[in-house]
Amino acid sequence: MTQAQSNKPLFIISGFMVIYALIASSGVLHPLMKYLHTAKAVDLQVSMGLICGGIGILGGIVNIVRKPGNTSFDRFVLQPLPGILLILLMAMAIRWYVEPLVKLFSHNLQPVLGFKIYKVLNLNYVILGLLAGVLITNTYGIPKFAAAGVKCARFVLKMGVIMLGARYSFAELAKLGTYSIFLVGTFVLGTVFLVLWLGNLFKQPKTMTGVLAAGMGVCGVSATVAVAPVVKAKSEEMAYTIGTILSFGIICMFVFPTVGHWAGMNPVQFGAWAGTGILNSAQVAASALAFNAVDIKTLKVAEIFNITRVLFLPIIVLVLAAWFGKETGKKLTFKEVVIDKFPIFIIGFLLLFAMSSMGLFSPPTHYKGKFIDYSYNERTQVTDKEWDVLNGAVQANAIKGLNEEQMAAVKDLVAQRQLAGNYESRGDKDLFQKQGEARMFQLETILAAAKGGTLHLEKNVKAAIHHAIKQVHKKSKTVTTLTDCMIWFFAFGLIGLGMQITKKAIFQAGGWPLAIGIISGVTKATLSFFVVLWLVKDVVLK
Amino acid sequence: MFTSILLCTHGTTGARQAERLVFAKLLKKNPELQVTVLTIIDQDWQNMTGDDWLNSSKTHTTFLDHVEKQMGEENEEDWQRIRDKYPSALKAQFVGKVGAIEETIVSEAEKRECDLIVIGPYLKSRRLFNLNMEKGLKARIDAIKLHKILPCPLLIAPVVESAD
Repeated sequence: MTQAQSNKPLFIISGFMVIYALIASSGVLHPLMKYLHTAKAVDLQVSMGLICGGIGILGGIVNIVRKPGNTSFDRFVLQPLPGILLILLMAMAIRWYVEPLVKLFSHNLQPVLGFKIYKVLNLNYVILGLLAGVLITNTYGIPKFAAAGVKCARFVLKMGVIMLGARYSFAELAKLGTYSIFLVGTFVLGTVFLVLWLGNLFKQPKTMTGVLAAGMGVCGVSATVAVAPVVKAKSEEMAYTIGTILSFGIICMFVFPTVGHWAGMNPVQFGAWAGTGILNSAQVAASALAFNAVDIKTLKVAEIFNITRVLFLPIIVLVLAAWFGKETGKKLTFKEVVIDKFPIFIIGFLLLFAMSSMGLFSPPTHYKGKFIDYSYNERTQVTDKEWDVLNGAVQANAIKGLNEEQMAAVKDLVAQRQLAGNYESRGDKDLFQKQGEARMFQLETILAAAKGGTLHLEKNVKAAIHHAIKQVHKKSKTVTTLTDCMIWFFAFGLIGLGMQITKKAIFQAGGWPLAIGIISGVTKATLSFFVVLWLVKDVVLK
Repeated sequence: MFTSILLCTHGTTGARQAERLVFAKLLKKNPELQVTVLTIIDQDWQNMTGDDWLNSSKTHTTFLDHVEKQMGEENEEDWQRIRDKYPSALKAQFVGKVGAIEETIVSEAEKRECDLIVIGPYLKSRRLFNLNMEKGLKARIDAIKLHKILPCPLLIAPVVESAD
C-alpha cells in the first residue's frame, strides 16, 4: 500500500471533523442542535472538531513527508492516530446525535410501548458507545487502519481512572474505602470459596474451578487471564469461563442500572452494588455511567470498588497458586504473583488524589473540586425573592425549632443577603473564612434536620437556604476540565473496549462453567444487593 | 488420483468424521497417500481477553503463551488418540499451527503441495446446554471465505454416527 493510500482514512476522518466544526460554527446546524437539545455544547463541538481534525491532518502530513519507521513516535502516535480519531468521532456522534435521537424515538414510542426504552435500558451515550463498538467489531470488523488505535482504549481508560483520583477527598476515600474493603472482601472471598465448593460438589477439575473462581469472584476476564497460567487451566476451561463471564457481565450491565433505579438506590448504593456484583471491571464503569452519566458520583463510588477488587487480585492469585501448588508442587515467586500482577495505574490514581488533596489543582480553600467563595459579590447573593421569603420568615418568627447558632446563621444570611464572614473581619482572611464556614455548617444542619423530619421548614424557606449554600460553592476550573476530560476518556475507553468484545468470545459460554457461573454470579449479585441496601445508607458525596 | 491430503482436525465430533474418512477409508484404498494432519490454534484466542483493561501487556503475553503451550499439549494428546485409533495414521505427519483458520489451511496446503483438503461436516453445536466440554475454542470454518481461496479440491466428510 502506498503512503497516500494508507493515509486516506486518516485524512477522511480528520477532514470530516474539521468540515463539521466549520459548519457547526457557522450556525447552520443550530436548529437541529436545538431540536436535539445539544446547542449548549456547540462550542465544545467546534473546538473538538477543529483540534482533533487538525491533529489528524498534521499526523497525515507527517506520515507523507517522513519515512515510516518503528520508533516510539510511530508506534505510540502515528500508528494509533487514525483509530483514536475514529473512536473519538464515534464518541462525538453518539453523544451529540445518536443519544438525543434515541431519546426522541423512545419518547415518541412511549404511547405505544407504555415506557421509555432509553430509560428502561439506560441507553445513554456510554452504553450506546459500548454497544456501537460491539456492533462494529461483530459485523464489519475493526478496520485495519484503526486496529492500533483501538488497542489504546485500555490505556485511555486507565488514564480516566487516574484523573478520577483528583475528585476524591480524604473523607470520601476513607469512607468508600472502608465500605469497599468490607463488601469486596466479603463477596470476593465468598464467591471464590463458593465456586471452589461447587466445583468440588460437582466433581469438577481444580484447574477449571480455580480459573472460574477468580473470574467470578474478583474482576471477570481480567482475573481469568491473570490466573489461567497460574493454575494451568486447560483450553476449554479458559474458553468456557471467559464466554460465561462476558455474557453474564453484558446482561448485568443492562440489568443492574434498571434494578438500581427501580429499587430507588442512591449513587453510593448503586456504585457499591455494581462494584461488588458486576464481574468485569469495564462493565462496572459502564454500568455506573449508565445509572448516572450526568454527574460522576456513581462512577466515583464504583471505581473505588473496582480498585479495591483489583488490589484483591494478587491476593487471590496467591491463594489459588498456593491451593493449586499443593497439587503440582510448582512454586511461584512473590514477583510472579504480586509484583507482576500489581496494577500500576493505581499508583497514578493515588498520586493524583494526593496532588489534588494538597491543593495543586486548586487553591487551598477548594474542597472536593469546589471552593467556597465567601467574598462579597452579587454572584453569591440569594435572589430578591428568596431574601423576601427568608426575611419574612425571620420577622414573623416562623422558623421554629432552631437552636441559637442556627438562628444566628439564618439572621446573618438575611442581614448580608449571602453566606459570608463578618463584614468587619473581611481584612483577616482566615477569620472571615472560618466565620463563613461556621455559618454554612449551621445552615447545612438546618437542611439536614428538615430532610430527616426533625424540623419543619416551609418549602420556599428551605429552597432559599439551599440556594444560599449553593451560591458560594464554585467549581475549580482545573478540576472541571479534568472531570470533562475524564468523562471523554471513559466514553472513548468503553467504545474501544466494546470493539474488543467479539461474539465468538461470548458464544464460548457453556458447560460446567456456565452452570456454576450462573449459580455463583446470581448469588453474589442478589446477596450484595440486599447487603448494600441494608448497610450503605448515607450519601457522603458532594 | 490424489497423492497428498491435508486433514484438518481439532478433535471435535465433526472433525472425527474427517479423520475416519481419511484413515479408515481413503488410506485403506490407497495406502500410498501422504497425509498431513493439521491442527490450528485459532488466532482468535487473542480476542479472548475481551474487555480486560486492567492487566498489563505482560500478563496478556503470559496468558497467550500459556494458551499456546496448553493447546500444544492438548494437540499432542489428540494426535496420540488418532495414532491409537488408526494404525495407518502412524505414517502421517502431524502439524500444529497458530493462525486464522481458513488462511492457515490454505497456506499449509500450498506449502505441502497437497492436492486434497479434508474437513469435517457442519454439525449443530450443543455447547451451551451440554455439560460435557469440548476442548479449544468453538470455531467454525467460514466456508465462503475458504472456498474463495482454495488452492485444491476440498472434501467434506459425511456424517457417520459411529465415527467415535
